[in-house]
Amino acid sequence: MNRTLEQILPKVQKPARYTGGEYNEIIKERSRVDTRYALCFPDTYEIGMSNLGCRILYGMMNEVEGVWCERAYAPWGDMEEEMRREGMLLYGLESGDPIADFDIIGFSLGYEMAYTNVLNMLDLAGLPLRSSERTALSPIVVSGGTCAANPEPLAPFVDFFILGEGEEVTLEYIELYRRARDEDWSKEEFLIEVAQIKGIYVPSLYDVEYQEDGTIAKITPLKGAPAVVEKRIMEHLDEAFFPVKTIIPSTEIVHDRVVLELFRGCIRGCRFCQAGYAYRPMRCRDAEKLAQMGKDACSASGYQEITLSSLSTTDYPPLMGLCDDLLEYCVPNDIALSLPSLRADTFSMNLMERLQKVRKGGLTFAPEAGTQRLRDAINKNLSEEDLMQSCKTAFMGGWSGVKLYFMLGLPTETDEDVLGIADLARKVYQTWRDNAPSRARGIRISVSTSCFIPKPNTPFQWEGQVTMEEYQRRVNLLREALRKDKSVTYHWHDADTSILEAVFSRGDRRLAPVIEEAWSKGAKFDAWTEYFSYKRWAEAFEHCGIDMSFYANRERTKDELFPWSVPSIGVSREFLWQERELCYAAKITPDCKHQCSACGASKFLKGGVCTNG
Amino acid sequence: MADRLLFAKTGRARYISHLDLMGTFQRAFFRAGIEIKHTEGYNRHPFVSIALPLSVGFSSECEILEFGLMGDIPHEEVPQRLTDVMPEGIIIQKCYPVERKLKELSHLNYIINMEYAEGRPTEVEVALREFLTRESHVMRKKSKKAKCGYTEFDLIPLVHSFGLECHRDSITLDAILAAQNPGLNPEFIRLAFCEAYPEYTPDFVSFHRREVLDGTMSVFR
Repeated sequence: MNRTLEQILPKVQKPARYTGGEYNEIIKERSRVDTRYALCFPDTYEIGMSNLGCRILYGMMNEVEGVWCERAYAPWGDMEEEMRREGMLLYGLESGDPIADFDIIGFSLGYEMAYTNVLNMLDLAGLPLRSSERTALSPIVVSGGTCAANPEPLAPFVDFFILGEGEEVTLEYIELYRRARDEDWSKEEFLIEVAQIKGIYVPSLYDVEYQEDGTIAKITPLKGAPAVVEKRIMEHLDEAFFPVKTIIPSTEIVHDRVVLELFRGCIRGCRFCQAGYAYRPMRCRDAEKLAQMGKDACSASGYQEITLSSLSTTDYPPLMGLCDDLLEYCVPNDIALSLPSLRADTFSMNLMERLQKVRKGGLTFAPEAGTQRLRDAINKNLSEEDLMQSCKTAFMGGWSGVKLYFMLGLPTETDEDVLGIADLARKVYQTWRDNAPSRARGIRISVSTSCFIPKPNTPFQWEGQVTMEEYQRRVNLLREALRKDKSVTYHWHDADTSILEAVFSRGDRRLAPVIEEAWSKGAKFDAWTEYFSYKRWAEAFEHCGIDMSFYANRERTKDELFPWSVPSIGVSREFLWQERELCYAAKITPDCKHQCSACGASKFLKGGVCTNG
Repeated sequence: MADRLLFAKTGRARYISHLDLMGTFQRAFFRAGIEIKHTEGYNRHPFVSIALPLSVGFSSECEILEFGLMGDIPHEEVPQRLTDVMPEGIIIQKCYPVERKLKELSHLNYIINMEYAEGRPTEVEVALREFLTRESHVMRKKSKKAKCGYTEFDLIPLVHSFGLECHRDSITLDAILAAQNPGLNPEFIRLAFCEAYPEYTPDFVSFHRREVLDGTMSVFR
């Protein structure tokens, strides 16, 4: 073990996250490796290790002979301070070698508030932040994940982005990199060539011109780069790698359990939800194979908890059969089975009752909006009757707490909709009074609101976000309405991170200097209240002469050329606009199982027809 | 609870905390296919108990874990099967049925190495010897129970015996310390010594547990 690290570790909190050495970590002999990959997650070890995508990529890359993929996470402030004091560079957990010497550095980008951590990790690695200043072929800095659907704010820092699912394309660009290295290509030659791989977006190969009003006038592809880069998907998930034998952390992480991925994509089409559009079309894994993988993963890991993962568990067609299969193994082995992302309907409630034999803590529902009209407008297909029926079943079954999640600031929202949240909470309370077998224990109803963030590639990509002041006004309105309800607790998220997320999720490459400025003034871990400072960000925007409201609060015209016009998730702009119009008419769109809405995503499948819905 | 493991915790595994180590063992037994006793009741889980918690960062070659072996796996097969599925640095040396009570474990042998990057000051040996042979040295330690937030204890009687060995860049303290009721964390020796002789404050100190002993200073198992 590195001597400097050994001396630093006694001084920092939770040192186990900086050591590596976990069970199932992959160690390769340096002399038999020609390509070294640093898979970086721009957040803490506990969060990064919980990411299923990273586990898949890690396992897959390490199956390739000559390739060694290691992990790196953002060190917490105390560790960063010690590292900088000792001049210690960011290292791969497996080998302890500085990642600056690796061939490829890949970042997984799940949310906008991690952008400053990407910069900070590059800096900790001892690398120049900007792609143009890293002139050698290696290390190549790449990035993928949800944020890659609009990666523009990070364009000057990252050499190329991977759109969609990484299983195949990762191996493809590694192969090309190896060729480039062996044949002594320049970095530019490599980037021009890698842009020809489907699903890879090289931002430096696009020239962006702006109009006087600040919107984009023209995006010109250079040197043969494609005008549109479509995302990649795995058409057949059963053929996709699944990490049965995976790293078992020696310290507790956020999702410390076996995660079984049921399917990708979602049939629901909630209009505010980026994931619902970005991961289309829906593709399922085979239930029998999943059950076997679940059992194998438990015995390989020693975990005594399995969780089923997807965007909407209830929509997995063979869910009952899978649960029965798993329970047969779980019950005698004292393994818990948990199902997040259930819909608030009777079917789900029955299922939950069967599973949760012991713990009856809390239930969480996300109606998102307080009135049926607004729920229809956002296409959140949840009726009040369904919700009340679910609550009734739960209360009769002895549950004594319900959490309800909502958004404020949704398109078309009126004060009536805001107050509707209070009404809904009261109806839940009444349902409890009418149905609870005993009222002695009381009931805890928690209402939470967050500020709606319009996301790219959704029907709301044209919308302006409500201002912070307006959000606060609606919060106060709801707060006042719930003041007398003793059984209801109201929590609201501050709008200051929401406005930044709104800015960056639909931002363009002119925001890069703002990120750099905020980072240079100490911004990092912006998703953590310990570090986040709105003031610092506001100053950075002012310093760069950039108006946040241009990005966050401005309503776009129908034909505006968006910064994310080159990367494509495969859902057509026309379809999204039509969905937006349906929103304003408060009309719902049926889910994919009942009727195909011709969103465009079926083109990714052979034959062009979705079959899993 | 009828069985014990003797294991070493070294290298990168030194930084696994006490609580995390218990979780690591619970999972390791399961993946090794070794059936062990579970707790009864509301939230059933495999029962493991580590005799004397080891501070994060310390290494050890004499940790004791208690559990209950079930099924028909012979004791002698357990060490290899378990070590095979452990994180790097945890090595199970022995698995055996409990014969002696844990309260007979009264002392611990620690190897404490104090390092000086610029070379060991020649007088540090005399100073350390002087310090450890004082009549008494009362220290404070944090306490949640005490009203004032701390309790006082005398460090010297908790040091049973010690030896010193000098090297070019370090001095090694080989000490036998009280293990429990009350025990002495050798970290306190470092703290107190640096307070008494700030000029000999080492640049780095490593702590290693070498043996667990009973009241007669014989090996405890």
